[in-house]
Amino acid sequence: MSYIFAVDIGGTFTDLVACDLDTGAVSYSKSPTTYGNFGDGIFDCIRKAAVEPRDALFVKHGTTLVINSLLQRAGAKTALATTRGFRDVLEIGRGNRTQPFNLRFRRDQALIPRERRFEVSERMAADGTVRTALSDEDLVLLAERLREEKIDALAISFLNAYANSEHEDKAAARMRQLLPGVFVSTGSSLSREWHEFERTATAAANAYVGPQTSEYIAEFDRHLRTTGFTGSLLMMGSHGGVLSTERVRREPIALVESGPVGGCIGAAAYADSLELGNVIAFDMGGTTAKCALVEDGRFAVESTYHVGGFDTGFPIRGNVIDIIEVGAGGGSIAWLDQQGRLQIGPRSAGSTPGPACYGRGGIEPAVTDANLVLGRLDPNHFLGGEMVLDPAKSVAAIRKNIAEPLGYSGDAGVIRAAQGILTIADLTMADAIKRISITRGRDPRDFTLFCYGGGGPLHGVQLARELHIPRVIVPPEPGNFSAVGMLLADARLDTARTYLANFDENSLSEALGRFAALEDESRASLEKEFGPRPVSFGRQVELRYKGQKHSLKVELPQIGDLAALHDVFNREYQRRYGHSNAKAKLEFVALHSTAMLEIRRPDLGQLTGKTKVSGTPVARNRPVYFADEGDRLMTSVYDRYALPVGFKATGPAVIEEYGSSTLVGPRDHFEIGKLGEIRIECGKY
Amino acid sequence: MSAENIKVRENLSAPNGKTASIDPVTVEVIRRRLTAIADQVDLNITRTAFSPLVYEYKDYAVGIVDVDGKLLCQCTSGLPLFVADVLGAAIRDGLEIYGKDGFHEGDIIISNHGGTIGQHLNNVAMYTPVFNPEGELAAFMLVVMHWLDVGGRVVGSITKYSSDIFQEGIQFRTVKLYSRGEPVEDMFRMIRHNTRFPEEVGGDIASQVGGCLMGRDELVQLIGRYGSDVFRGAVEIMWRQSEAEARAVIREIPDGTYEASAFLDDDGMHEGQTIPLAVKVIIAGDEMTVDLSGVADETTTTINSTRSGGGETVARLAFRYLVMPQGQASEGTFRPLTLELPEGKIVSASANSAKGHYNAPLPTLVDLVIRALSGAIPERVAAGHYGTFSTVRFVGKRPDSGALFQCSDSGFGGWGALCDEDGPGPFRTNCHGDTRLIPVEVQEATYPIIIDKFELRTDSGGAGQFRGGLGLARDYQVLADCTLFTTFDRTKCPPWGLHGGGPALPGSVIIEAVDGALRPSLKDAMSVKAGELVRVTTGGGGGYGKPELRPVNSVREDVLRGYVSRDAALSVYGVQLDEKLDFVERRAPSPS
Repeated sequence: MSYIFAVDIGGTFTDLVACDLDTGAVSYSKSPTTYGNFGDGIFDCIRKAAVEPRDALFVKHGTTLVINSLLQRAGAKTALATTRGFRDVLEIGRGNRTQPFNLRFRRDQALIPRERRFEVSERMAADGTVRTALSDEDLVLLAERLREEKIDALAISFLNAYANSEHEDKAAARMRQLLPGVFVSTGSSLSREWHEFERTATAAANAYVGPQTSEYIAEFDRHLRTTGFTGSLLMMGSHGGVLSTERVRREPIALVESGPVGGCIGAAAYADSLELGNVIAFDMGGTTAKCALVEDGRFAVESTYHVGGFDTGFPIRGNVIDIIEVGAGGGSIAWLDQQGRLQIGPRSAGSTPGPACYGRGGIEPAVTDANLVLGRLDPNHFLGGEMVLDPAKSVAAIRKNIAEPLGYSGDAGVIRAAQGILTIADLTMADAIKRISITRGRDPRDFTLFCYGGGGPLHGVQLARELHIPRVIVPPEPGNFSAVGMLLADARLDTARTYLANFDENSLSEALGRFAALEDESRASLEKEFGPRPVSFGRQVELRYKGQKHSLKVELPQIGDLAALHDVFNREYQRRYGHSNAKAKLEFVALHSTAMLEIRRPDLGQLTGKTKVSGTPVARNRPVYFADEGDRLMTSVYDRYALPVGFKATGPAVIEEYGSSTLVGPRDHFEIGKLGEIRIECGKY
Repeated sequence: MSAENIKVRENLSAPNGKTASIDPVTVEVIRRRLTAIADQVDLNITRTAFSPLVYEYKDYAVGIVDVDGKLLCQCTSGLPLFVADVLGAAIRDGLEIYGKDGFHEGDIIISNHGGTIGQHLNNVAMYTPVFNPEGELAAFMLVVMHWLDVGGRVVGSITKYSSDIFQEGIQFRTVKLYSRGEPVEDMFRMIRHNTRFPEEVGGDIASQVGGCLMGRDELVQLIGRYGSDVFRGAVEIMWRQSEAEARAVIREIPDGTYEASAFLDDDGMHEGQTIPLAVKVIIAGDEMTVDLSGVADETTTTINSTRSGGGETVARLAFRYLVMPQGQASEGTFRPLTLELPEGKIVSASANSAKGHYNAPLPTLVDLVIRALSGAIPERVAAGHYGTFSTVRFVGKRPDSGALFQCSDSGFGGWGALCDEDGPGPFRTNCHGDTRLIPVEVQEATYPIIIDKFELRTDSGGAGQFRGGLGLARDYQVLADCTLFTTFDRTKCPPWGLHGGGPALPGSVIIEAVDGALRPSLKDAMSVKAGELVRVTTGGGGGYGKPELRPVNSVREDVLRGYVSRDAALSVYGVQLDEKLDFVERRAPSPS
């Protein structure tokens, strides 16, 4: 009875990691994700791992349920109540066109159509005073209407409720009373920051996925209990902490990026333990690649996230890990546009038909085909040999679709085309890493590249070289790493308040008071949800130059005097934007409080993949094409499970394991570190 | 991949553009990196700019041009108004004044000159030279930005009462703001004392400078990595590809001469005297000529722009909407495009003409070029959009502190329907891009105004088989005495429908006094007293196809959603619905 399970439902696979806190035993398993009934895939994983739910203290769970429901518009029949005069906030949005020359440009449809958006008499002023009282009569009439319409969920979002939530709170209580069984959600309970569209869209999204998520959790929990599970089910939140199911039933939107966050938690934990300093967490899967910055063991959490992407999607406010995702994964398809320009993705071959080499009928070349043609992947050792790849099919697809149209002839032409595919894919990924670092004022050279996901370890060294990053780390079990990260997650509660005030001593002491109050609230909530455990707090202050609307979040210095805070802001501003103005006045914009409650977790040492093959590691050899050499080099191929801690060698090398292969460049040095991680020092050519 | 690895089959620097030998993947890498650089600078400016006008409205654009001012690329989402030759025009003036040898590492040059940029003086182009590893001038990195105030008669520098450019603020004709990396303090002092908002403008300048330098450093790296010859060769190929892409589309358009005309309400000062606008588009093979000879002559008011600031802008913008709605444009994209435009029109006006509202005619002109081709390529056009800036700007003093405030709200309206879908929107005009409206909560917390209503305007979209997009209705309560500036047009020539589709409703501004008296204001500076209401509506987009062809279900859904009133369903679409919105019958429409 001392296990922790982490279950991550991804687009293609459901992953499980189970760890016995007492003995250190770890099991990993993978099963195809079962759409329609996710539980089947999970229980299949549990069976495969040969572990018993009755032995588990916690089951930590990450799922794509919420994001899928939003993207596929498969949520509940939802209504919206707004301040009179503002029912179109959701549809008007911010009015921007991200494709400036497209006469057909339009945003994705609003989650709640106009006929289900209703107005209520009430009005708060920007300073939080009541201008018009809340009309109970309107609420009663609205309830009747919603009953007739058989609404399942209701979002309530009033103007200026960020400044005073009283009307929203009252209306929610009243509607819950009038409409038992209807999921009711308010904007101010999810975000206390200004911007009515973003807050309303958040409330709408939360209500929209509310009934379904509650049902899913209840069902999953019930199923677990029938197998003897008596511990706690915890859900992986997009902000990097786990949440109680009680909270998730109220705030399901907090699961919107429930999946990718796991890897970042893992990267942060390893970075901390191995004293790596700042790392870029890089995850390359089947359809996309993602990257995030982890500095001093912490990743940034952004307060606006776009469901369906910035171009045509809608925003939600809430704390979502700051992550950039691009359409370059192993299954991303390579194609030529009408001008013969080589493009990768965003279309993906997925798992069916998959890349050409899967032999499942795919005839278009994918990134995986290029890796195979260049010898970077072994056709007989893919997924530990569970799947045999067909290089001839990759060659044929690349020859026909890329090499011949580009005028590259013969076998050399296929190699050249395959390398071209990787070049463009790597460029796309490198640009994503640049975007997340340089535009935030960071220099990628100051970071370590931390690679996981099926494809991360295969592309990491080349990306590092591209970005002049000196060191690459590949953790144990990179293919299961998101689940590993979840295993390590603490409970976390983030709260923010808009706080418009002059930057002076009075405001600062007022702010400190507010922080203390927020922390008391957070501690109480966390202890209520998780029981009494140690809680730690983080304080971030959002400031801006007076007159400027663009603000910056900085850590509140420990010894928090005004001058120290001013200094921190100016330095961070200078770092991020390349200029600052020490003389300009500042003002407060918002206060952000983070509360973390520690949850028992395994020691990273326990997660180290056990050396399953004894004796001196023996390398096989195979030729691998290296672009920078312009040729194939005979390359040592290792079985990762045979490499003991402390093992050292020089590239070129390929290190193979179940869910991934790590490529080490010529003259790069690598070593197996104390936690079983592969450490690669990338030399410059 | 390192530079050494790029296989080059023959001498790349060979004359006569012998560039076909550069590896196509390398060309693509360089093309993408150029765009990524421009976009990265764009993001950085959004993050660092001081005034909301810049970072919310995104009143700026980022470009990379070669040593002759030819366009390599622009950021993906910058203000389309700057897409034209404005970047090139600034550079060419610089080359003329300094000569190629007059640029040094670390120089930063600005220009807003009426005869060069040709738009209102707030639009300031800033650029820095980029040198290749051999020390030769290789490119320029540019950022054009709208400065909040450059002096002149009024706050914000733009007023319809100006009659020449000297009343509209200070002109900087190609002057160095930084010389060899050092700030030219004299210039900064001069700027500081010629704007009403030195702090804000100073902050925006810093972000504009930061953008130029960030882009330059990235460009230097890019060129260094592949070598100057490969870089130049790749750019040539890139241009050729863009050109081929554009020509392929034009070839699909039937040859012919196509025309369209419309008019503006007035020039801002002479109410009732309409401004005629007529355009011709000539398609011959894979070439397109936009002929703006039929546009009204230069006025004594502020709606003028020069050929590069106005005429080129219109032609290039419309060209992109018609020929290349997605993807990246470069110099090559516009090679098949010719502009026919004599001197002395409102979009080819003289250097010293007033230009405060240079942009007023542009959305309509762009729309007209699109409309001209509505018969030739019905599937690539849209009906008219609301087509006017519909700016609402409150300027006054805060009741609490007495400090000056300026609340600028440019309008959002409906866009035209297409051959197979309803019109989108509400968005800003076709001369805007990724510019976002300012949230009501931000306005209320920042300015002494209260907004009572902000909603879609029923029946404002033009009727049709495909309905035009809707405009908006917004009511402001003003809490402090202030001056209201508005720029509304197109009330007499409302947004048109196509192929039988109906026109949309135009916009309006009505000031309602405490005693209920109403004062309309389309293009005025009106004083508004605390406690008065300002009711604003914006226009919709035109419809496409005959309204009687719209399916009953679509009409019913529009009524259900309140996009169309029950009365209009009957009179315009001939669809009778009962009070429960159940279908009764369909008959011939009977528009009043």
